[in-house]
Amino acid sequence: MMARTTKTQKKKTGAAAKPKTEFTGKITSRAQLDLMRTQCRAENARFPKQVMICCGTGCLANGAAKLVEAFHDVLKQRKIKDFEVKAIKETGCHGFCEQGPLVVIEPKGTFYTKVKPKDIPDIIAKSIESDDVIEKHLYVDPKDEKKIECYGNVSFFKHQERIALRNLGKIAAHSIGDYIAVGGYQGLAKAILKMTPEQVIDEVDKANLRGRGGGGFPAGRKWRQCASVDADERFVICNGDEGDPGAFMDRSIMEGDPHTVLEGMMIAAYAVGARRGFIYVREEYPLAVLHLQKAIDDCREYGLLGEKILGTDFCFDIKIARGAGAFVCGESSALMKSVAGQVGEPREKYIRSVIKGLWDKPTVLNNVETYANVPVILDRGAAWFTSIGCENNSGTKAFSLVGKVRNTGLIEVAMGTTLREIIYDIGRGILGDRPFKAVQTGGPSGGCLPESMLDLPVDFDSLTKAGSMMGSGGMIVMDDRTCMVDVARYFLQFLVSESCGKCVPCREGLYQLHQMTVAVCEGRAEEGDLEKIEQLSDVVVKASLCGLGKSGPNPILSTLRYFRDEWEAHIREKRCPAGVCRELITYTINEEKCTGCVACIAACAYNAITGEKKKPHFIHQDKCTQCGACVAVCRYDAIDVA
Amino acid sequence: MKMRFEVVPNLCIGCRTCELACSFTHAVDGKQGRSRIYPLDGGMKDLWVPVVCLQCDDPACVKSCLVDAIKLNPETGAYEIDHEICVKCMACVAACPFGCSLFDDHQNRVVKCDLCGGDPACAKFCPTQALVYKSALSHAG
Amino acid sequence: MINITINGRLVQAEEGEYLLAVLKRAGFGVPALCHHEAVEPYGGCRLCMVEITKPQWKGWKDLVVSCLYPVSADLEVQTDSEAVIEERKTVLHLLLARNPHTKEIKDLAAEYGIVRSKYQEVAEPDDCILCSICTRICDAMGFSAISLVNRGHGREVAPPLNEPPPDCTGCLACALNCPTNYIKYTDTGVTREIWGKTFEMLRDPQTGKPTITREFAEYLSQHREIPAEYFGEGDESHRKRTARSFGKIAAWSRVDAGPKEVES
Repeated sequence: MMARTTKTQKKKTGAAAKPKTEFTGKITSRAQLDLMRTQCRAENARFPKQVMICCGTGCLANGAAKLVEAFHDVLKQRKIKDFEVKAIKETGCHGFCEQGPLVVIEPKGTFYTKVKPKDIPDIIAKSIESDDVIEKHLYVDPKDEKKIECYGNVSFFKHQERIALRNLGKIAAHSIGDYIAVGGYQGLAKAILKMTPEQVIDEVDKANLRGRGGGGFPAGRKWRQCASVDADERFVICNGDEGDPGAFMDRSIMEGDPHTVLEGMMIAAYAVGARRGFIYVREEYPLAVLHLQKAIDDCREYGLLGEKILGTDFCFDIKIARGAGAFVCGESSALMKSVAGQVGEPREKYIRSVIKGLWDKPTVLNNVETYANVPVILDRGAAWFTSIGCENNSGTKAFSLVGKVRNTGLIEVAMGTTLREIIYDIGRGILGDRPFKAVQTGGPSGGCLPESMLDLPVDFDSLTKAGSMMGSGGMIVMDDRTCMVDVARYFLQFLVSESCGKCVPCREGLYQLHQMTVAVCEGRAEEGDLEKIEQLSDVVVKASLCGLGKSGPNPILSTLRYFRDEWEAHIREKRCPAGVCRELITYTINEEKCTGCVACIAACAYNAITGEKKKPHFIHQDKCTQCGACVAVCRYDAIDVA
Repeated sequence: MKMRFEVVPNLCIGCRTCELACSFTHAVDGKQGRSRIYPLDGGMKDLWVPVVCLQCDDPACVKSCLVDAIKLNPETGAYEIDHEICVKCMACVAACPFGCSLFDDHQNRVVKCDLCGGDPACAKFCPTQALVYKSALSHAG
Repeated sequence: MINITINGRLVQAEEGEYLLAVLKRAGFGVPALCHHEAVEPYGGCRLCMVEITKPQWKGWKDLVVSCLYPVSADLEVQTDSEAVIEERKTVLHLLLARNPHTKEIKDLAAEYGIVRSKYQEVAEPDDCILCSICTRICDAMGFSAISLVNRGHGREVAPPLNEPPPDCTGCLACALNCPTNYIKYTDTGVTREIWGKTFEMLRDPQTGKPTITREFAEYLSQHREIPAEYFGEGDESHRKRTARSFGKIAAWSRVDAGPKEVES
C-alpha cells in the first residue's frame, strides 16, 4: 500500500506546482518540525472528505485490505472530484472489531460497519460524491435498535475518554506525516529543547503516571531512580509482550500509532540519559513489528532518531527485540534476559532493574500504554493529565472489553469510571439480557468481581483492594451461565502451561492447585479440600519467585472470596449451580415444553436421545456425554440442565 | 612474611611419617584424608623424594579448572581447592604434571596440598628435617 | 562490616553479601537444594526462605530467599519462624509429590516430620528436582551441552533435540553434582557413556587406569593452554616421574653418588 501511495504522490508533486507536500531531509530544529506539521496539515486539508478504513488486525481479518483495494480500483477507473488515493487512510484499530470492517467518512464522521468490497462503489457515489448516508451500513444500537449515523454518537465510543488511544482510527497508521500533523513529536520537542531531564521527570512525576502494564508503579519515580544511579550506560525498554489471552490494547497502539510509542520512549531516554532503547514485541504481532520498524526507519530518515536529535546533543536509537511469545517474558526480568538473548526466565528482584537491569545496567522498563501517555503529558502538562481520572490514579486506562456484553472491543476510560458504566454504557449490557454474574479483570492472574462490586471505580487501588487487579487491562464479562470454579480452572490451566518452571511453588504449586480445582469440577473433591487449596494458594503467593507465581492463585482466591458457595456446592452437593461442569450435571427433557421436533435427536452424536415426532423425547443418561448439543439446537427451551 | 616449603630429598629416609601426618590432619568427619605427600623412589638406592605440590607460579591445576575453584591463599602461598565450588570434573588431577592434584575416594573429593593453612603437618612431623617450612627471605639470605 | 541479627544473635557481615553465606558462616542451617557455589545463586527451590524485618519497617515482615538476598544494616532474620516453617513444609510436600521415591527429598522431608505428600503424586515420578545445578555448571564450564527444555511442570533436563549432545566432553560434572544422583552414566574403564554419547577414556600407559575423556583433555589443551602431553599419564605415574627427575638432581649433590649405580 505504501509503495502505491508514494508513487501517486510523486506524480502529483511533479505535475502540479503546489507547495511541496512533504518535508524532506532532516528535521533539525523546532522551526522545521513546525514547518513539516503545517505542510502535512495542508496536504490533508486538500480533501474535503477523507475515508478512514480501519486496518487493525481485527478488521484486516474481516477483509479490510480488500476494501482498500476496492477504493483504489474505483479510483483507477474514474476520476472523482476532490478525492484521490491520498484521502484514503489506512488507520489503526478503532477498537470496535466485532463490527468490522469499519469505514468512517470524515469530516462528518459517518460510521459504516461490516462493509464489504462490493459496497464500495455505492459508498463512493452516495457518501463521497454526494452527502447521502447509506442506512443499511449504519450501526444499530443492540439495546434500542436505533440506527446511529455519526461515529461520536455510538454508545461504544461516546462514553470513552481517549489519551493513549487518541490517534487510533484518526491517522494513517504508518504515516509519520499524519502523526506530526496531529501534533506528534511536540512533546519531544518541548522536552529536549525547553526542559532539563530533571524537569521532564518532575513533570511525569507530577502527572502521577502509573505503570499501565499492571503494577501501577509511578513512572516518574522509576525514571528518577534510574537517572540517579551512577552508570556509564542506561537503557529504556518498551514492554510490548502483551500475553494475556484476549487483550490487545498494546498491540493496537503499536500497530495503529507506533510513533507515539517511539516518542514516549525518546522522552524517557532523554529524562534518564539513555542512548539505546529496545521495544520487546512478540513475534505473533507481525503487523506491530512491521509498523514499528517503519516508524523507526522514518524517524531515522527524518533525524528524530540517531545523533543530535532536533539539533541538540541528545542521541538515541531504538531497536526491536522480538519475543517468541512466552507469557512469562512479560515479566520485567525475564523480558530483559530475553532481550539480551538468554532464555526468558525471571530472576529475584531484590536489586531492582532500574539499578541493575539489561546487561546489569540501569534500565527503565515501561509498557506500551504508559509510553503512549508520555508525549501528551509533556505536550499538555501534568495539571491537565491529573484533571482526568481520580485521586492518585490520574489519566485513563485502556481495556479490552470482551465476554457476554453486547458491544465488545478496545476501550479507554478515565480512571475511576465504574464497572457498571463500562459494562452497561459502553458495553450496552449483557447479551440476551441475561443476569450479570461477574467481571474478570487483570488477565489470567486477575480476579473475578461479583454484581455487588459493579459500582467499584476502576483504578489501581480499588481493584487491588477488591481482590482483583488492573493487570494490563483485560476485562471479561460473564453471565449467569458461567461456573466460577470452571473459570478458575480455566485460568489456572493457562498459568500452569505458562509457568516457566524455575521455582517450585509456581511450577508444582500451581500444578497441584489446578489438579485440585479439576477434582472440584469433576466432583471428586472432599470436605477439607477447600482449606487445602487455600493454604497452598497462600504459600504460592508468598514463596514464588516472580509475579506470575505470586499472582497465580488469584483466580482461586478471588472466586473463593465472592463465590465460595459455588465452590462448596461442587464439593458438598456435587452440584454445579451454573450447569457447566459436565461431571456434575444431567440433561433432561421437560415434557411440558418439548414439542417433539426431533431436532435434538438429530443433533445428538451419541444417540442418547430417543422419541417419536410430536411426542416428548427422552434422554438416556447412560449414553449422554453432557456435550450440550441438544440445548444448542432446542428452540423451545425444553432441555433442563441441573 | 613470605614463606617457602622446602624439600630436601637427601635427608629423606622414606619413613612415611609425613603421609600419616597429612592424612590425619586432613580428616573430615572422622574420615582420614588421602595424603597429599608421597615419599617415592628417587631412582637410586636409599634416595627418597617426597613428592608434594610445589605451588607453581602458573599452575596447570588452576588453568585447567573451568569453575575457578582453585585459588591462591596470599597468606600461605598455597593454591587451595574450594570444595564448595569444585565440581569434581578431574581436570586438575589429569592436568598436573607432578601428579599433585588427587582424588580422595574415601572423602569423595579432589584434594591437593594446602600447606595446612600455613603450618604444614608433614614438616612438623618429619624426623629428619627433609621437609622444612621457612621464611623465603631467610632462605635467600 | 555491618551488624545483623539472626534468630536474636548478633552477627557481623559485609554489606551486600548474600544472606545464605552469612547464615552458613554463622552456623545457622537452612536447607537449600538448588545452591552450588560454582554457579550463581538461582532461587529456584525456595527452601532457603527466611523471614526478615528491620526495626524501621514498623512490624512489617517479608519472606525472602536467603541465597539471593543482599544483607544490609539492622536486618533481623528468623530462620525458623512459623511462617518460614509453613512455607518450607509446603514446598517439601510439593517436592515430595513430584519425587516421592527420591531418597534425598524423603530424608529432608522426614526432618520436618513429613512422610507422605499431602498432594497428589505425579504419574511417572523420577529423581530430577529441576534444580538446574547440572545445566548451570555445564554453562559455567563453557560447554552448555545440556539445558532445561519445556516450560512449567513439563520441564526437564535434556541435550538439544534429545540427541547425543555435540558439545558434551564427558567431564561428568553434571552427574557428580546432581543432588539426587538423577543423571546416570556408565564408566567401563575404557569408555564412558553419558547423555547417549560414548567417550574414549585416556588411560595411563603403565597402570591402565582411566583419567579423563579424550574430548575433555583436548578441550583443556585448546582452551586452557595446557600441553597435551600432560594428559599422557595418570597422577600416579606423574608422581613417579617427578620422583625420578627430582632424584636425579638430588643425586648430583650426593657425596657418595659417584661409584654407585643408579637403580633402574
